[in-house]
Amino acid sequence: MMRISTNMIYDSSVSTMNQQQSRLLQTQQQLATGKRLINPSIDPAAAVQAMDVTQADAINTQYAANRISAQNTLTQMDITLQGATSLLQTTRESLIQASNTGTDTERQGLATALESQLQQLVSLANTKDGTGAYLFSGFQSKTQPFAGTVAGYAYFGDAGQKSVQISSGQQVPTSISGADIFMRVPSGNGTFVTQAAATNTGGGVATQGSAVNSALLTGNSYSLSFTVAAGVTTYSVTNTTTATPVAGMTGLPYTGGQAISFDGMQFAVSGAPVNGDSFTVQPSSNVSLFQTIADTAALLRAPVTPGNPAQTAALNAGVAAALKTLDTAMQKISVANAGVGSTLQGIDVAQVTGDNLGLNYKQTLSQLQDTNFAQAATDLAQQQLALQAAQKSFAQVSGLSLFTYL
Amino acid sequence: MSSIISTGLSGLNAAQAGMATTQHNIANANTPGYSMQRNVQAASSALYTGSGFIGQGTNVSTVQRAYNDFIGNQLLQAQAQASQLSTYQTQITQIDNVLADPNAGLAPAMQNFFNSLQTLSNMPDSIPARQGVLSNAQSLVARFQSISQQLTDVNTSVNGQITNSVSSINSLAQQIAALNQNIVVAQGTGQPPNDLMDQRDLMISQLNQQIKASVVKQTDGSYNIFVGNGQPLVVGQKASSLVATPSSSDPTRVDVSYNANGVIVPMQQNNLQGGVLGGLVAFREQSLVPAQNALGRIAIGIADSANQQNQLGVDLNGALGGTVFSVGTPYLGAASNNIGNAVLSASITSASALTTSDYTLQATGGGSYTLTRLSDNTVTNLAALPQTVDGITINLASGASIAGDIYTLRPTANASQTLAVTILDPNKLAAAAPILANSALANLGSGKISNGAVQAPLNANVQAPVTITFNAIVLPATQPTYTVTGAVPAVAAPIAYTPGTSIALAYNGWTAQISGTPAAGDVFNVSANAAAVGDNRNALLLAGLQNQNMFGGTTTLQGAYDQLVGQVANTTQAMTQSSTAQTTMVTQLVQAQQSVSGVNLDEEAANLIRYQRAYQAAGKAIQVANTMFDTLLNLR
Repeated sequence: MMRISTNMIYDSSVSTMNQQQSRLLQTQQQLATGKRLINPSIDPAAAVQAMDVTQADAINTQYAANRISAQNTLTQMDITLQGATSLLQTTRESLIQASNTGTDTERQGLATALESQLQQLVSLANTKDGTGAYLFSGFQSKTQPFAGTVAGYAYFGDAGQKSVQISSGQQVPTSISGADIFMRVPSGNGTFVTQAAATNTGGGVATQGSAVNSALLTGNSYSLSFTVAAGVTTYSVTNTTTATPVAGMTGLPYTGGQAISFDGMQFAVSGAPVNGDSFTVQPSSNVSLFQTIADTAALLRAPVTPGNPAQTAALNAGVAAALKTLDTAMQKISVANAGVGSTLQGIDVAQVTGDNLGLNYKQTLSQLQDTNFAQAATDLAQQQLALQAAQKSFAQVSGLSLFTYL
Repeated sequence: MSSIISTGLSGLNAAQAGMATTQHNIANANTPGYSMQRNVQAASSALYTGSGFIGQGTNVSTVQRAYNDFIGNQLLQAQAQASQLSTYQTQITQIDNVLADPNAGLAPAMQNFFNSLQTLSNMPDSIPARQGVLSNAQSLVARFQSISQQLTDVNTSVNGQITNSVSSINSLAQQIAALNQNIVVAQGTGQPPNDLMDQRDLMISQLNQQIKASVVKQTDGSYNIFVGNGQPLVVGQKASSLVATPSSSDPTRVDVSYNANGVIVPMQQNNLQGGVLGGLVAFREQSLVPAQNALGRIAIGIADSANQQNQLGVDLNGALGGTVFSVGTPYLGAASNNIGNAVLSASITSASALTTSDYTLQATGGGSYTLTRLSDNTVTNLAALPQTVDGITINLASGASIAGDIYTLRPTANASQTLAVTILDPNKLAAAAPILANSALANLGSGKISNGAVQAPLNANVQAPVTITFNAIVLPATQPTYTVTGAVPAVAAPIAYTPGTSIALAYNGWTAQISGTPAAGDVFNVSANAAAVGDNRNALLLAGLQNQNMFGGTTTLQGAYDQLVGQVANTTQAMTQSSTAQTTMVTQLVQAQQSVSGVNLDEEAANLIRYQRAYQAAGKAIQVANTMFDTLLNLR
């Protein structure tokens, strides 16, 4: 049998009740705050994991904000590019109308329409996004990308392409350099350009043609000249870069509309060229879409003397060339627009993934740090009971003393 | 006849003495350290007569205290250990909550800083977004400083508590020495001075709650007491003392030394085991200093990486970026008793190689040193300075050291306190890259050049214009070529490439790729990125630092902070558990000890009655003897 000292009865009861009270307080705090991890030391592994998940969740929320920012810019770009496409469609219709219209007055009306469309196109190309940054100026977001007069527009932006982080490890481009869309449109058919000499007096018109064998292309300039002798029209082709006649292309009989092919290129001349008329064939160069429209408006504005075949031919050839350039530009814009669309789709996919991740993070976090109320309430009741028992038994035991009976 | 009365008298005396001891027990029932006393009563030597030995009554030979040495010693050790653990636990609980608090911890401030960089990358030309980065950088710095300040406050409090504990130890040592003296004198009488011995045992128990002390008993009844590494604290009637003074090489910490007859001898701090003092020292060495250092290392990591990245970009004004943060140089203090006059300095050369340890540098003569990393006691021998170890370069600024000179090196200790934002102008955040690749407007091919990226460290010629011109195939070659002009060093010969494959360019410290098929005559330029207010390339890289492995190439900033929080939380948990276990053990030993030495009032009540009855009986015996006298006297 163990001998018990009177003090021990008090001391051990007090220390037991202290321990029970501190456990009770912790459970009560967990219930009151709803947090299981009042201190990290309650469950260090869970505390550290909770910090990581909190960080991942915060980053994910930031990516969602980034996605909204990217979406805003790209949606505006999408709308702008669609606007440009439909505007160019109108311009195209005006040009088709011009090629069929007879009088100077009517053509001048169309020229005015064209100039107004040009102004609209420039203003579309100078669109700003919600934050006041220009959409098409590359990194020079505060610099108006396109400025000038009808006489000529220049690009003041750069080639920079801004990217936005839309998820961990995924950056998407949110800007397009305006130079690529509006300033770098290949002239002619993209390989070469046919053009009537300014001195022509006949009504011969050259088609835009196409490259038929890229292996034979030389990138040189050529001259196609017509000779009319004794009612027979013949033509010869000279390579003006090397100043040598093209082999087998000298003194050939001319038939209107028949294909003329040399050095991988093919085009046709129709109408009636007169003696001394010539056409140049030059490699394509990049032209500005704005310049093309402005030049075409100027072409339409110039009066055509009725019965002057050369002027009519120049008008028709000019309109045809402008249409070709317009088509190339529209194709470029629609490719860019498709790119914007697919980026927007990618953002939507990332948005769904991000939302799911966010839900997942919040669930994990709740499991890690939140109080399991059922468990905690049971614990509380149990601990309360134990403390009450200790208190009651202490009161009884401490009342027992032999001195009571002396 | 008179022997009957004297026998009765001896019974009266013994009962009186028993009553006195019982009342002494009752009176001291609540006296700390008191051991129950019992009279040792024995029959007096009997009187020989022809009819045998006739008893002569009783006498009290001594008063004994109920005390078990074995349990007493066990309890002392357990108490020293319990006191150390509970002190450690109390201290570490203070920093446990500071670090991981969802509002006051470092993690949210760090997250806000990187979020603001992400926002900057969305709107690099927005002044509010730039201001946001600076404000969040300021908040981050404030958070670092506030946490660091709380750790410093804990350190200051630890210093104060060490001083208090040392003065308690000294006072107890004095009292024990005085008690030794009294006990030796009292012991000379041949009887044990029970209450003095109880007092001394209590003092030794209190001493063990301050520091683990070993007791060696002497034959004259005095106790010799040793602490630490065997330093004598009490020898016989003479007490020595411990001294708490600021460390000679690091004034921010109070170290404990031993005063040997007026000579102050430094003690190995980790030899101070047990008790409050042992708990304080262990907490400081194992948790507080590592936590402060780990926090500092994160501060250096952020400052260093953000500075390097910002210096790889250009700001809104088009100028190359500068630093974003500044952080103080490592602490390197010379011991005040060094003989040499060498002035050493330390600087951080590689933030990623830093550890969270402190170091001791000891001169070995001839300009050589040994560097001891305190976390694992790794010793590195350094020949002539400067030398770089663990990302720290140690320089000799002036003078020369003499063998034995000691220096304390704390590379990261003060970093979180000295962290500051150096950028005040939001325009100076370098969100843009210094270069931009452009393709000429006249290019006919489908070749596209990427924007270009700058490599660290920044090349002096990074903004020098470089032109890449594509050439046609010149027979008899089978591949086309491109010519690079403006690169440093110059690229003389045209470089052949396979059309349709991506061309990787790397000149003057930048890289770029050309994809697609460039046509002959196409020209690409890489040059200084002027007025590119919308360029966010460097901002994206700044924001990306959050996920970059920084320390040892394996740990991100958040990871390093996780480690810190995890270590403190795990230690707190371990300390709480061991402290509880040790307290239970102390409780059990106290019960065992009390079972021997404690006063049970019921027992004493019974004794009161026992001695009262004995007194009454002895008195009655004398009365009977008196009656017998009367009988005798009445005989006529």
